[in-house]
Amino acid sequence: MVPNPTTGWERLQDVFYRKRAEYSMMWVDDIDLSEFIVVGAPYGGAIALVRDTSRPMAYRGPEGRQKMILIYSNSGQLILNIPWDKGSIRGVGWSEQEQLIIVVEDGTVRVYNDFQGGFSQFSLGKEAEDHTVSECRFWGTGFVAKLGNGRFISVTKLDEPRPRMLAELNPAAVELHGWTIMSPSQTLSRHIEVLVGVNSTISMIDSIESQDRFLQEGPFSHIAVSPNGALLALYTTYGKLYVISADFQKKYSEYDAGTLDSPTQVMWCANDCAAVAWESEIRLVGPGGGSLSFYYESRIALIGEPDGIRIVSNEKCEFLTRVADIVVDMFRIGSTAPSAILLDAVEQLEFKSPKADDNIQLIRPNLTEAVDACVKAASYEPEPYWQKRLLKAALLGKSVLELYSSDEFVEMCEILRVLNAVRYYEVGILISYEEFIRLTPERLIDRLLSRQKFLLALRLSGYLGLATDKIYVRWACNKIKSSSGDDDNAICKTIVNRLKPIASISYDEIARTAYDEGRTNLATLLLNYEPQAGRQVPLLLDMEEDEIALVKAVESGDPDLIYYVLLHLKGKYSLAQFFRLVNDKPVASAVVEQLARNDGPELLKDFYYQDDRRADSALVIYRESLLLDDIQDREDKIKLGMKIFQDGKDAYPEAKAMEEHAKLYDLQVTYEKDYKQTFIGLTVAETIKKLLKIGQSSKASKMKSEFKVPDKMYVFLKDGTFPVAKKS
Amino acid sequence: MSGLLPTTINPKALKSDALASFVTLLESVRGKKSLILDRTLSAPLSHIARFSVLQEHGVDNIFWLDDGPQKDSSQRNIVYLIRGDIKNAQTASAQIKKLLQTSDIEFDFNVILYPRKMLSIEKVFEEEGVLGDVTISEWDLGFIPLEEDLLSIELPEAGYKDMYLYGLPTTISFSAIALNALQKQYGIYPRIIGKGTQAKKLCEQLVRMRAEYQSSSDTAASEWTKGETSAFDQLVIIERATDMVTPLMTQLTYEGLIDEVFDIKNSQTEVPSTLFTAANPKLPANGAASTISTTPIATEQRKTRKVVLDGSDPLYASLRDLNFAVVGTTLNKFARKLNEDYEERHQAKTVSQIKDFVSKLGGLQAEHQSLKLHTNLAEEIMNRTQTEFFNRALEVQQNLVASGLDTSTLNLTIEELIVRGIPLEAALRLLAIECLTSGGIKERELANFKRLLYAQYGYEHIITLNALTKLDLIFQRGSKTSANATTLQFSNLRKNMRLIVDDVNEQTPDDVAYVYSGYAPLSIRLVQYVIQKRALGTKISTLGGSGWRGAEDILRNVPGDVFDQTQKPDEKSIKTKVLQAARKDVKRTVAVFFLGGITFTEIAALRFIAAQESERRRILILTTGIIDGKDVIKAAMDMTPSGVSTMSVE
Repeated sequence: MVPNPTTGWERLQDVFYRKRAEYSMMWVDDIDLSEFIVVGAPYGGAIALVRDTSRPMAYRGPEGRQKMILIYSNSGQLILNIPWDKGSIRGVGWSEQEQLIIVVEDGTVRVYNDFQGGFSQFSLGKEAEDHTVSECRFWGTGFVAKLGNGRFISVTKLDEPRPRMLAELNPAAVELHGWTIMSPSQTLSRHIEVLVGVNSTISMIDSIESQDRFLQEGPFSHIAVSPNGALLALYTTYGKLYVISADFQKKYSEYDAGTLDSPTQVMWCANDCAAVAWESEIRLVGPGGGSLSFYYESRIALIGEPDGIRIVSNEKCEFLTRVADIVVDMFRIGSTAPSAILLDAVEQLEFKSPKADDNIQLIRPNLTEAVDACVKAASYEPEPYWQKRLLKAALLGKSVLELYSSDEFVEMCEILRVLNAVRYYEVGILISYEEFIRLTPERLIDRLLSRQKFLLALRLSGYLGLATDKIYVRWACNKIKSSSGDDDNAICKTIVNRLKPIASISYDEIARTAYDEGRTNLATLLLNYEPQAGRQVPLLLDMEEDEIALVKAVESGDPDLIYYVLLHLKGKYSLAQFFRLVNDKPVASAVVEQLARNDGPELLKDFYYQDDRRADSALVIYRESLLLDDIQDREDKIKLGMKIFQDGKDAYPEAKAMEEHAKLYDLQVTYEKDYKQTFIGLTVAETIKKLLKIGQSSKASKMKSEFKVPDKMYVFLKDGTFPVAKKS
Repeated sequence: MSGLLPTTINPKALKSDALASFVTLLESVRGKKSLILDRTLSAPLSHIARFSVLQEHGVDNIFWLDDGPQKDSSQRNIVYLIRGDIKNAQTASAQIKKLLQTSDIEFDFNVILYPRKMLSIEKVFEEEGVLGDVTISEWDLGFIPLEEDLLSIELPEAGYKDMYLYGLPTTISFSAIALNALQKQYGIYPRIIGKGTQAKKLCEQLVRMRAEYQSSSDTAASEWTKGETSAFDQLVIIERATDMVTPLMTQLTYEGLIDEVFDIKNSQTEVPSTLFTAANPKLPANGAASTISTTPIATEQRKTRKVVLDGSDPLYASLRDLNFAVVGTTLNKFARKLNEDYEERHQAKTVSQIKDFVSKLGGLQAEHQSLKLHTNLAEEIMNRTQTEFFNRALEVQQNLVASGLDTSTLNLTIEELIVRGIPLEAALRLLAIECLTSGGIKERELANFKRLLYAQYGYEHIITLNALTKLDLIFQRGSKTSANATTLQFSNLRKNMRLIVDDVNEQTPDDVAYVYSGYAPLSIRLVQYVIQKRALGTKISTLGGSGWRGAEDILRNVPGDVFDQTQKPDEKSIKTKVLQAARKDVKRTVAVFFLGGITFTEIAALRFIAAQESERRRILILTTGIIDGKDVIKAAMDMTPSGVSTMSVE
């Protein structure tokens, strides 16, 4: 018999809360949560158990040391055991992408990207090393570490970590108490902020400044921000809980816990009420000061979710959440809400009672809302039995309505099937409808992939109409990792055969995995199947297949990749080798020419010389000469340029012109000496004109013949009139 | 998700999206910041954001990238906005390195790359050892709306120089990114058709990009609007190299002439302040000009003033695309109408009538100012176009395109103009037009011209001429084998493409040839070939085929490859089919993309076609930038160091 949905409803003031046991824990080896720090990934993700070294624990033989970091599903199935030897752990957290983040005392941060032990590592820097990390707080994409000296360091992006010191506390604090962070999505500034209890007040710190919020009620041992960032719950060392607005302008409630025991956790249950947890008790504190307690036999751990709290104990995993109004209306005893009547109608219909129609007629004016409410309420129900009943009621109501868009109904049916599948204990993802919407279907599939549930991921993707290529890629990568003994060709064949039917799948990641596993040959085999030239490039470079990488980069037509490869190769080869590599590739050659142009004339000359481009080479030198100040230097350099022409077999008209230019400078130097006038810098025409003007017509006519100045031009220079062309 | 796409391209939305994404980037840096700006991005940025907007989002001061952050006046937060170019990255990383070494302030460095993050740039930062000290993000600004019907990527030199002189792949790549972004937002181009070797590469890249997005399940894939409907009918890509004659010709529309005489950059021009003696000038829209000026404008009397020229001024909008010959009469008509409007005040008897008039007064005054400005401007242009150089050069140009016969006589004229000292750029334009229309200049004559050019303008222009040869603008006859089909056979096109229209009507034009008073731009004829065959005469309009079909023989005379590619919509979404049926009556857009730059006259001609076609479709003009003959020649002249020879005429 399926229990009535109202089972387990508890009232807090005028609101109902419901705590449901979702899983009985299946810990295989006697896990005692009191020996661990328990941290869960958001949106019903995996749970990390990290040995709490500050607590005494039972000696279980030498293998006990092996169990430092354990990752479990919500149903208590071991996903991964991470051996640990790095030193004292000061921070454990999860990212939105379900990466486990471990922060070590000395500031080392490890990010475990998958559930196979693969990780990346970075350091928080010298300051963290010197003062050691004492505590950390995490949010979806980053975290803040508190150092021994009371300073804070934030990391906002885990994939591109840039540890940044936050502002110094002002004035320097005597005594720091509890602290927390407001994630960028919770603050007005859209940047990370830290709230820290200082003496009896609270200070806000961000990257620029710290501000005292001027409270007197402290010292505050715990600070909790509501998921929407609007409210703060402050717990004092003397057992009082205050709820205030996040801008510190308004106090909403005050509650005396009646105990001086320090709570283990203070957090929000969605945006509805504050929750305080001690070793074996959870107390919800409502806005009006009312409270609701749940008691346990052993230590519990709370995991905050956007719509409730996950509670993990030795025995079970539970979910505590406020009962949505729509659900209350539906199931409250004696409810006369249209939705409740519609639900009743289904039951009547099953009894073949005419009351079914009476019910429908009764709520006729509100039927659309009733149908909507049934669909919506189904999303809150964990039991497929009740989901079905509610959807059936919606279906009945819908059939009576003339115009009703079924899109939402259909979508809800689809999503509920997906949710039920992933909530199944073997998968153990405890995700609610609301969390699913926030997480997005794509990321849910990612989570299945990291749990290596490839078939389920494939089915659900097909069901939700998502792309499946990523699943195949991950499967292939997994295949490579798990078949280290097999023959390269055999694996390649297996993978290619399996992936062949999927249109234009990308092989670069698969090849990269093979390469990272040390199987270069396999990587090469696989990379040949990659359809996009550009994607092959980075791996080819790592594999030192430089020339192929360059060819592929050019093929992709992407200047970024071409530049990237060339910059890479430029540092690796000698200049001559480098130029030779690009010689026969026009686009690459053009890009190298551009690099050389940026670099200066020397490299450009080398490049042209190597490429046997005489004219270009000579013109670079010629151009250089024009920029010289000293006229003799100019002439020398021009002659140098000419020489390059002359070394070649072909005749270059430019060489002749350059020679004339040098000659012009020669003459101008002489004229300047002879006539004490400026000549250098004048063109041939102007030089002649000037000579004529100062009465040196013989010199002018000599120039005319030497520089083969056309008659017409000479006449014009002399007389200022242009000779009329004779009719021929 | 629903597959519902906007049916028309909305430039305003593009602009506000671009602004929003830039503001997000600025806001990602907390507090006040100094912005270090790549000079080539100042124009695009000023189209998107006014300085006041930047200030609102914490920009305290702006420096040019060449100058770098100034130690004493910079904020702790430094934001670089640079084009993704190796040289820029080298400059920026050197500056960052220096600041890190010499200053004990804890700077926060951010680099915003335009138009996207690049591996190569990160590599440069890595090599300089500053990669760990900077936060790199991207501003994926694609097309910048210049007008309602005109979007531009605003590449430096319209991407012309990079593509043709340097042979770099960047122009095509940036174009592909921008065109792809548009395609993502408004639906695929069902057909991509075009002409030009580089254009074909661009087309291939576009098709490949879409295929890559389709196959990958990255988040990027979901950005694609999966609808079957598209706002686009087709994309026509015309590459600049297919028609270099047109940009070298002197533009004869009003806007074209303003560009020829005063230069229009970034929808602004600088004109002598004497033109404003009476009129109250229309100053650059709030901060458009002052956005980027890093040094406060000196109070000294400047000799030139900036004027904004865009479609927001109704008078300019009606004048800009007219042939200059009729601008005078149009101004006259406008003046008369304005006068009548003013006269209305005498008829205003009742209080409400007077009130009515007063409310219109502001508009009238603005019109009045605009009228004064344009009257003065037109007069000034008239003065400049009545010079001997201008007229004789124009005559040579017209003769070269019209007949091409008897180049020897025309050569004599060109010679004379050179000897008389016509500006070098004008002389080179004439020589280039001759080469393009007559298949080169004879060896002896070319040698002669070079001799004259060196003697008159200085030997350093050896470099200029070398560059022009590389650009295929000035070359010796026969230096390209006639078997090579990629050279322009202009003489074969005159008739076939109806390039010369003898009886062009400038008053009420009936053909695009009015923009050059008789010469119809080849580039535009190519566009018409695709979308408006009937304009090309009976011979072609009776061919009846779609796209290029039937034109193979004619197109062989135009350089560059021909392509015609269809793109199929995604099969994934079937739901939208219903929607598509409902939208059949919607007018779709033909996007015309000019790869390597477009001239104002070509824009005018396309608008002329758009007006004729308005019943059937919309035309959206896309380009890498706006250029004219000066810009083309300047691309080559810039290779030569300036100031080597003085052309002083005493």
